[in-house]
Amino acid sequence: MAAETGTPTTLTLKSNDDELFSVAESAAILSVTIRNMVEDGCAGGVIPLDNVDGKTLASVITYMNGISAIPADEEKKKSYRDKFLSDKDFETLADMVLAANYLNMSCLMDAVSAKIAQVMEKKSVGWVRRKFGIENDYTPEEEAAVKEEHKWTFEGVETDDDN
Amino acid sequence: MASPPWEKLPPEIAAAILHKLGAVEILTTAQKVCPTWRRVSLEPSMWRCIKMEHSRATGRLYDLKKMCRHAVDLSRGQLTDITIHSFCTNDLLLYISQRSIQLSRLCLQDCHDIGGDALTAALKNLPLLEELHLQNSSFDVKAIETVGRYCPLLKSFKLNSDVFDPEEACDLEALAIAENMHGLRHLELYGNKMTNVGLKAILEGCPNLESLDLRRSINVDLVGDLERLCLQRIKDLKLPHNYTRRYPWDTHYDMFCIWADVSDSEDDFFADGDSASDCDDDYFPLNVLLFYD
Repeated sequence: MAAETGTPTTLTLKSNDDELFSVAESAAILSVTIRNMVEDGCAGGVIPLDNVDGKTLASVITYMNGISAIPADEEKKKSYRDKFLSDKDFETLADMVLAANYLNMSCLMDAVSAKIAQVMEKKSVGWVRRKFGIENDYTPEEEAAVKEEHKWTFEGVETDDDN
Repeated sequence: MASPPWEKLPPEIAAAILHKLGAVEILTTAQKVCPTWRRVSLEPSMWRCIKMEHSRATGRLYDLKKMCRHAVDLSRGQLTDITIHSFCTNDLLLYISQRSIQLSRLCLQDCHDIGGDALTAALKNLPLLEELHLQNSSFDVKAIETVGRYCPLLKSFKLNSDVFDPEEACDLEALAIAENMHGLRHLELYGNKMTNVGLKAILEGCPNLESLDLRRSINVDLVGDLERLCLQRIKDLKLPHNYTRRYPWDTHYDMFCIWADVSDSEDDFFADGDSASDCDDDYFPLNVLLFYD
């Protein structure tokens, strides 16, 4: 069903744990994924978002409402994004980046990616693996190739290769 | 939701995150974390924009010149934007220019080891260059002539210096710009020695100029017709005495703050030079005195 003109349209979004959320269409279409559904006429009923849980979706909707209320002023939008992400812990950021990618929201994706990258700055390989829960699944040959390339360290400097 | 399995994430998410890391972080850490991150790290698209600076931590640990060459190799000719802070040499600059025909932005900050000849030779290899930003880096007026001949797309030029001698006047650079960079839209000549003669030539030679930064180019005396012409022609004009908030590389500002202990009151103390009306003549002489006493 196509959106009626003149009156603000509300969409209903459903998370993968069956929570329902109402959100203004004008805010929701910040997500290209949702915008495409609306344009294809699939938004008449409930829009299922199979890759996003309720907690994350609630947070994304807060962001959608907040950012769409700011007029075209990139400075203000940026400061809203910074503030919005400032109190999010690492696990939440991880969920957000998945959701932003699935919902195709480039600005949010950009901001969350930067925030996650910040966490990695000046950390060792081992620290990053632990923080991100990544197994060291290099084959010995690959591991050797990576180390072989690591020739720009000045001689005599201890590196935090791995642990 | 439990923490996601990062190594199983689509590579585009890993790429988006790693894109936000600097070159040094990608080469020393990210690419060694797991095979997926390594694959992403080695993609040429990851290296279209390279920004490397010599900091206390990275400069002592790593051979940044070697790393930078490696990063340029990884770009496989796709490099479009590079910023090097303080460690670029003649050899490195030539290496970059010979492998980066798509380069549209070259920014060198505090690179004192580059000779004018090397810069000139490098510019000859960069036909798509649109932005050339030189901040506190060694420079030769021949480079401007080379740009005129070999870089027809240049639209933004910065030749900034925070080492200046108010007694010395010289229009060579300004006249060379006027003669060779006719397509310029943005020009910064912060702390330049030029006089009104140079400025007039620039206004005539660069008809498309939209923004012009003359801060600390204090041999320019903007009065009468010349001032009117500037205000008429240039949308975004910063005047010689518009001393403003600190320039990113302006080390003198830090010294000034230490001496005068004004760092906490920056906003009140400095005029915000976004427009001509923000000129703060009263303040500027004090600033100069402190630097040169």
